[in-house]
Amino acid sequence: MAKLIGGLGTSHVPSIGAAIDKGLRDTPDWKPFFDGYIPGQDWVKEHKPDVAVVIFNDHGNSFFLDKVPTFAVGCAEEYRPVDEGWGPRTIPPFKGAVDFSWHFIDTLIESRFDPMICQEIEVDHGIQVPMELFWGRPAEWPVRVVPIFVNVIQYPIPLPSRCYEMGRVLRQAIESYPSDERFVVLGTGGLSHQLQGARAGFVNPEADRAFLNDIASDPDKLANMSREQYVEMFGSEGAELMMWLVMRGAMDRDVVIRHKHYFVPASMTGAGMIVMENKAAASPAVAA
Amino acid sequence: MDEKQGQDRIPDTPLFDRKRSLGGYRINKMAMGLSKPENREAFKQDEGAYLDRFGLTPEEKKAVMSRNWREMVRLGGNLFFILKISAVDPVRITEIGAHQAGMEHDDFLRNRLGKKI
Repeated sequence: MAKLIGGLGTSHVPSIGAAIDKGLRDTPDWKPFFDGYIPGQDWVKEHKPDVAVVIFNDHGNSFFLDKVPTFAVGCAEEYRPVDEGWGPRTIPPFKGAVDFSWHFIDTLIESRFDPMICQEIEVDHGIQVPMELFWGRPAEWPVRVVPIFVNVIQYPIPLPSRCYEMGRVLRQAIESYPSDERFVVLGTGGLSHQLQGARAGFVNPEADRAFLNDIASDPDKLANMSREQYVEMFGSEGAELMMWLVMRGAMDRDVVIRHKHYFVPASMTGAGMIVMENKAAASPAVAA
Repeated sequence: MDEKQGQDRIPDTPLFDRKRSLGGYRINKMAMGLSKPENREAFKQDEGAYLDRFGLTPEEKKAVMSRNWREMVRLGGNLFFILKISAVDPVRITEIGAHQAGMEHDDFLRNRLGKKI
């Protein structure tokens, strides 16, 4: 059966992509941010996953308010960058893990999750930036992807606990998938930021740092928080963090943190990264 | 979400709820249109005519044309959509943030985002 080799978490701030596009990677503003991702990139190079399941939200690019799926799963052959207003970015299109996507959709429905099914859809910075942060800018992506779109914009948004439960179903789907492929799951979004209202510019580095610990050691606490608590603690757009729970729900109770990075502010956002492995599967030196 | 009072429970934090989504539909649809190059061109050529295509009220039109971000958000504009206006008429997102916070840009960077400038 297929194997989950790691859970990754990262912010997906669009300015990160713009900084790469404009060649700003090594400027004083951005270098400390990007350098913090080098251990994550090395981990990916070393562990060579075949498939990346990426949980993110669309930001009013692939979906408008006329149709808002709470959860949507891509099962397309290819996902091209969408035009977010500045023209589509010139990064390679993502190849889909089509067969697994359908298997995952089957598993979801059988587990009483009912997602929208997307056979043709373009994708925005929500998936682009995490892929660039972990895989750089290859001529072709060395992994195939499964995009999971979560509505965290139009209220009512789903409960954090529901995201966590979806992760458990994702785990079942991976563990029941007849293949020897190696999977990583990426929870993306956050950390603290607020773009709207008089509290715009709110960041909460203390809460962000605590989140990066809790996502590993106490995910139940994060899953039991209300949506309002996310907004209060992490800002109106910081509620995106609940999407990391899908990734975490796919992992064991006990995990080890292999890498962690925090930087504030990336544009208007507290930005963070984590690489985790299941403790039982981690190398003995690490698990000890 | 307690919307009965028509007030946000978390101060200065407008959640994009039913009321805002319904109220802001025209502004957001107009802004969503800017993800097409031909619409960006139309906006540049004759902004008022472009806005009229989406049936914006005079109040909404005024908010957009004066780039009054705080007012656009008050009328139900969601930043992910209205940000596309900045693809046609460039403005930094931190300037949009500072405007909503009612702060000078440098103060906003220092005091909200903790930047050392």
